Order: sequence, then structure tokens, then C-alpha cells
Amino acid sequence: MRARLAIGALGVLLGLFGARTLWTRQDTDQLTNAGLWLVGGVVLHDLVLAPVVLLLVVVVARLLPTAYRAPAVVALVVLGTLTIVAVPMLSGQGVRPDNPTLLPRDYRTTWLVLVAVVVVLVVVAGLLRSRRSSVEHTEETG
Amino acid sequence: MITRPSPPQESDFTSRLRSPAVAARVGTWLGVCFGIAFVTGLISHYAQNHSQPIPFPTSPSWGYRLTQGLHIVTGTASIPLLLVKLWTVFPKLFARPPRGMRKLAIEGLERASIGVLVAAAIFQLASGLLNTAQWYPWSYSFRTTHYAMGWIAIGALVVHIAVKLPIIRGVWTNDVDDTTYDRPEATAPGAVSRRGLLRTTWVATGVAVIATAGSTVPWLRSISFFSVRDGEGPQGVPINKTAAAARITEDMVGADYRLTMVNGETQSSLTLDDLRAMTQRTESLPIACVEGWSAGATWSGVRLRDLLDLVGAPPDSEVVVTSLQPSGPYRATLLQGNFSDDDRTLIATRLNGEVLVPDHGYPCRLIAPNRPGVLQTKWVTRIEVST
Repeated sequence: MRARLAIGALGVLLGLFGARTLWTRQDTDQLTNAGLWLVGGVVLHDLVLAPVVLLLVVVVARLLPTAYRAPAVVALVVLGTLTIVAVPMLSGQGVRPDNPTLLPRDYRTTWLVLVAVVVVLVVVAGLLRSRRSSVEHTEETG
Repeated sequence: MITRPSPPQESDFTSRLRSPAVAARVGTWLGVCFGIAFVTGLISHYAQNHSQPIPFPTSPSWGYRLTQGLHIVTGTASIPLLLVKLWTVFPKLFARPPRGMRKLAIEGLERASIGVLVAAAIFQLASGLLNTAQWYPWSYSFRTTHYAMGWIAIGALVVHIAVKLPIIRGVWTNDVDDTTYDRPEATAPGAVSRRGLLRTTWVATGVAVIATAGSTVPWLRSISFFSVRDGEGPQGVPINKTAAAARITEDMVGADYRLTMVNGETQSSLTLDDLRAMTQRTESLPIACVEGWSAGATWSGVRLRDLLDLVGAPPDSEVVVTSLQPSGPYRATLLQGNFSDDDRTLIATRLNGEVLVPDHGYPCRLIAPNRPGVLQTKWVTRIEVST
């Protein structure tokens, strides 16, 4: 318990050093903007991303046959997180006409192809799984 | 009967995947990534500091390439890890406050620390990710804020680990399907098993890394579909700031161009031809940017030390290297004594066997070992011993 209290106190000190650094090196407008981004990230996750994921999972559970659910969840996690990582590239916001070496790839086409590939993989995996479970079912009853 | 919509409660979340057995496992790797990103971030921050009580080393020349590559890779890996981690603990957001002032105060403090941790973590990953693509939709100072927020995030993480330590240890000594730390209502089977969710998370993390790390890992370039650089560029090296963006005009680098060395009263001005007439050296040095991309290259030009000798600069001289660019925070950069004395530090006029193109810094640029790319000044016109 004493060790945990010491670790916790260390954490508080590290955080306070960060807060002081943040506070003393910028003007009020910049601080307000940083604060907005700080709160905005949490709001975006808790009030937008999390409910969207909850909704998607409900849709998967209601609409998809059992055999397709696991592949769909795997696809959702891998493709969903990759898409979030790729948002800055997909948005094209950093593109500068004078510098073709920055963001040089066709990210949007790649993403669409990737989505298509993932959908095909989910369907194939679902088909294989449903065939396997029906085979097992026939063996049990037959 | 009319039922009013009410906010969800903790007990509404029944999936047995939302368990500390999953959260602590993902969280451990997330913590490892944050730890590496924090340390490499401090290294990068220090490398850019003017004042360096302990001189930043010039060797190995690929050191900054490695640490900054790790910084971006662990930061990117943290995105899937954090998202899955937040999913597993999401019901906690709706937990009822406990009764009793003492318990309420303790839990209030813990929740506040988690609030700080989540906010700082999302901030760091989002701002870092956008920075890799040079997308700056904010008005705060990126370097200052990302640095300060790094301390806040790591502080809150250390507090979080201290609070959760018994659970973390318990989870790692038990099987992943153990229910010791589960909420009583979290019993519904998910579409995948806990092992399945963990494996999916590791795959998602690996995919995110492979899809982006080609910016700095050459052998990943061909499959790194979402990397912000593909390793290509004029003379085989990508560019951060073009001559046009830096407002370098043709007459600045024409016949009137001079490279001036200054040491107090002593001055020496060279034309580009004078520079080419001096002893030429060739060095293989990487260029590694704070945004996380890097590339190896072969540079040729005059050793900086040879130029400093022209004005009798003493050993271990700090020098200010100034660019022709009219403005910008990196117009003038400070080169510490160990860097200005290093034999590999060049004022380069050639890149991979060709005369520098304007976007790489024609007529000449600084290239030093183990130094952040933003400090490898292009379009150099003045080298002054700092007093």
C-alpha cells in the first residue's frame, strides 16, 4: 500500500509539472484552444464514437446470422481502428500543391478497395462457418 | 405506458468481453507504448533545445531516426489499443456514485484522474497523428502543448497504475476467462471469445503500424498503404518544406549568393564556386523529421569544421546557422559545439551524386549526424560563432 501511495504521488508530481509547463508557456488564446481540443476529444469519443459502435454491434447482432457475427466483429475492430488512424490521410487536409512528396498516395481508393476486400473476407468466413456448423449438425442428428 | 428515455446504467452493459481481464491485458501493452512514446518524445524535445547541459550525442548518426520512428510507431499502435481499452471499460462511465462522503471523495478523485488520463491520451494521439500528415487545424503551439500534455498523460497513467496495481497483478496471474474482477452482470457471451477479442486487437494494432510505418521503415514502403511518405522525392529523398513555401527566389541563389562565416570581427565570404573548390567530403547520413518520416542519403560538400577554421573559430564553438528564407521559426538554428566539431557535419552541396535541387536547399544545406530534420537548415547563407 505504501509503495502504491508513493507511485501515485510520483504520478501527481509528473502531471503537475506538465500542467505548469502547459500553463506558463502560451498565451490565453492558445490555452483556450488547447483546452477545447482536450475536451473535444473526450466528447467525440464518448458521445459520438462509442454510441456509433454500440449501434453497429446491435445491428450486427440483430441482422447477421450467427456464423457471420464473429468475422464481422473482427472486421469492425481492424477496419474501424485502421480507418481512424487513416483519417488525416483520407481527409487530404495536409496536401500541399507545391510538395508532391507529402501524402503521395491515393489513400481513398486504397481504403475503398480495402473495405471491399474485408467485406468479401467476412462473407467467405461466414459461409465457411455456417457450412461447418451445418455439417456438424447433420452428423449429430444423422 | 410511457417510458422516458433514460441514460444507460452500468448494469445495462452485459457483455463478458467488457472485463478487467481484457482491459488490463490491453492496458498493459498500451502502457508500454505510452512509456516508449514518452521517453522518445523527451529525447526529441531535448534534441531541439538550445540549452543542453548534457550535450546531445552526435552518434550513432541514426539514433534520432530510431527514437523518432519509435515515437510515431508506438503512438500509432496506441490508437487501436486505446480504442479497445476504452470499449472494455465504457460501462464504468455510467457507474453510480457510492454512498458516504469518504468513499465519494476517493472515487471522485480516481474518476478525475481517469478523466485527465483519457483526455490527455486522446489529445496526444490525435494531435500527434494529425501532425504526421502536417494537418494543423489548431492555434495552440504544437511542440509546447504536445510536450506538456505528455507529462500530464504519463502522470495520470502512473496514478492509474498505482490505483489498479492489485487488479493488474491479479489479472495477469489468472486465465483470461477468469471472472474474479468482473461486474456481476457481465455474463453474456460476445460474438467472439475474450481470447478472440485480444487477438483481434493485436492484429488491428499490427495492421495500423504496418499501414503507416513505411514513412520511416524502407522495407515496409511497398505495403504501407496509408503512410504519409513513400520514400520517393527529388534525388530519392522526400521534402518537408519546398523552396517556394520558404519563399526562396532565384535571385537569392544566383551570382550574388555568398556563404558568410563570422567569428566576432573576423569574416569570410565564399561564392558557390569557392565552396566547390574546397576539399569535398561524402557522408551517408539519414534525414529524420519530427513528423516521423526518415530516409537515408549520401551527402557531399564541405566539412563544417573546415569552414569554421577559415575564421579561426575555436574548438567546441556553438554556431548559429541562418537560412536565406525570410521568415519561419527554423530560419536560424543553433548548432552545439560537439555537432560543429563532428567530422561528419557537412555544408552539403550535393545529394545522392547530384547538385542539390532547390527544394533540398540549393545552393547548400546543413547535414549533421543524429539531428532532428527541422534543424538541418536548408539554403544556408550565414554561419556565425555564437558568443
